Amino acid sequence: MSTIDSTRIGFRDALLKLASERKDVVFVSTDSLKVVKGEPFLQQFPDRVLELGISEQNGVGVCSGLAASGLLPYICTYAGFLTMRACEQMRTFVSYPNLKVRFVGANGGLHGGNREGVSHQFIEDVGILRGMPNFTILCPADGGQVYEAMLASVDVEGPVYIRIGSGREDKVFPDGTPFSLGKIRILSDEGDDVALLAHGFVLGRVLEAAKKLKEEGISAKVVEVATIKPLDTAGLASVLNATGCAVTVEDHTIINGLGSAVAEVIAEGNPAYLVRLGLQDVYGESGFPEELLDAYGMRVEDIVSAAKKAMAHKKQ
Amino acid sequence: MDIKALQEISLALRRDVVEMVYRTKDGHPSPSFSVADIVTALYFAIMRLDPTRPDWEDRDRFVLSKGHSCPILYAALARKGYFDREELFTLRYLNSHLQGHPYAPKTKGLDATTGSLGNGVSIGLGMALAARIRRKDYQVYAITGDGELGEGMIWEAAMAASHHKVGNLTVFIDNNNYQSGGTVGEVSGPYPIEDKWQAFGWHVQTIDGHDMDQILRAVEIAHLVTDKPSAIVCKTVKGNGVSFMVGENSWHKRVYTEEEYKQAIKELGGAV
Repeated sequence: MSTIDSTRIGFRDALLKLASERKDVVFVSTDSLKVVKGEPFLQQFPDRVLELGISEQNGVGVCSGLAASGLLPYICTYAGFLTMRACEQMRTFVSYPNLKVRFVGANGGLHGGNREGVSHQFIEDVGILRGMPNFTILCPADGGQVYEAMLASVDVEGPVYIRIGSGREDKVFPDGTPFSLGKIRILSDEGDDVALLAHGFVLGRVLEAAKKLKEEGISAKVVEVATIKPLDTAGLASVLNATGCAVTVEDHTIINGLGSAVAEVIAEGNPAYLVRLGLQDVYGESGFPEELLDAYGMRVEDIVSAAKKAMAHKKQ
Repeated sequence: MDIKALQEISLALRRDVVEMVYRTKDGHPSPSFSVADIVTALYFAIMRLDPTRPDWEDRDRFVLSKGHSCPILYAALARKGYFDREELFTLRYLNSHLQGHPYAPKTKGLDATTGSLGNGVSIGLGMALAARIRRKDYQVYAITGDGELGEGMIWEAAMAASHHKVGNLTVFIDNNNYQSGGTVGEVSGPYPIEDKWQAFGWHVQTIDGHDMDQILRAVEIAHLVTDKPSAIVCKTVKGNGVSFMVGENSWHKRVYTEEEYKQAIKELGGAV
């Protein structure tokens, strides 16, 4: 398992590595250095930290100017303060001119916060960005995968969004596992009864559900969809056509996130019965992250039940 | 280039705007005219540019935060030789290089994509900070409107720019006292403009934004201030140069009739 035991450390360590190898890497902080445990970056690269204060719109605007002038800015703060407060700046001044700015959104999902409640808990970020042309959207599952996603995406053209969490995520992948950029990844392939599709911090629960299903004689494919955009539609079509039914699990609203993306693939010629787990068009509330996932329908048992429901509706 | 020659260019650029709006039946003429002299001074006397190398890393940068004034900027870029003058008359049409608001990837010589108000100072700040990090000595200029000062992001950028002592950023405030909905005094409350920028830590000057000599001298002074960003509050007139546009805010976005077109060209020293 990874020794990078938090998504924030994964981000920070990868940024240090990239900055030591490339002179164009700059960190733009909107009073967010502490959020990402970024003090070591400030110590090693003081000239490449731009502290702008609590001003996300300005922060993204500055990133636009930096990128247009030949630098590679990384801006990291709470996911919603980027994708909602600075949504227009991300869209019109970065995505539209297709500039290479890297956005790293902390506190993604119910699991991403620290009992903060809705103002600091972001279940819409992926959906907001899916609608913006040019964006690459990455949802790595743990600290090690954030580290690998950072390295894998450094040369991707245009803007990239990397969703990170609170720093308390379960480890899913062994050290050094490459990030699957642009392709789905089949993590467990017991058979074709059902596909369990997921990304991010719920992946451990999905693997657990697959084990339980196996004990009951149900063979599931567990598929990580860590690149939400551009979506590996061919890979997904292949899985969906094999299983004929699927469950999506996402720590995000089911509207316009992974569940919607998969539904689009299904609707465009790859029929399968789909059950979407995630926030069912409701906001969350304060609480411990694991409890919240349980409370909003993402227990291992919920995933198992959803898989059975999907199988029951599968066309024979 | 002497003052008289610059004034002639400024009139010629205005004539181009009139012709663009008349022929393409769209665009913002009077907000283009209030910044015509500033744009002329920047592109024909002040900025370090090479139109044969639009991406030259050491060039000075310009950000038109009030992006709706882009007809005057497009006219300046065409006259500088970035693209053919005939392209001006494709403004806002499908497949044109000239979008309704500036889009840098399409238009040669454009440094920044702008349009929605309040964003240009931040973009300019990013460019100015990039010069520091990359050890370049270029200058960054931005023009923002006075009504645009209502956007909070302007003040986020103003605060950050002075905090970082960004000496290579100069912002012109186009104080024409009008915004889309009426006079700036009626619709919003940016006054006293100078005090606000000063309080945010900027070096501030106030000039007549149609006096070429004052524009050039103000920029010279701004260059001498290397430890803080510069704001130049430009007293301007919306529609400056065409009598029937002055004081008539409907020209914020309006198309000329044939008669108005001929009259405007004539008043701007041209022949129809």
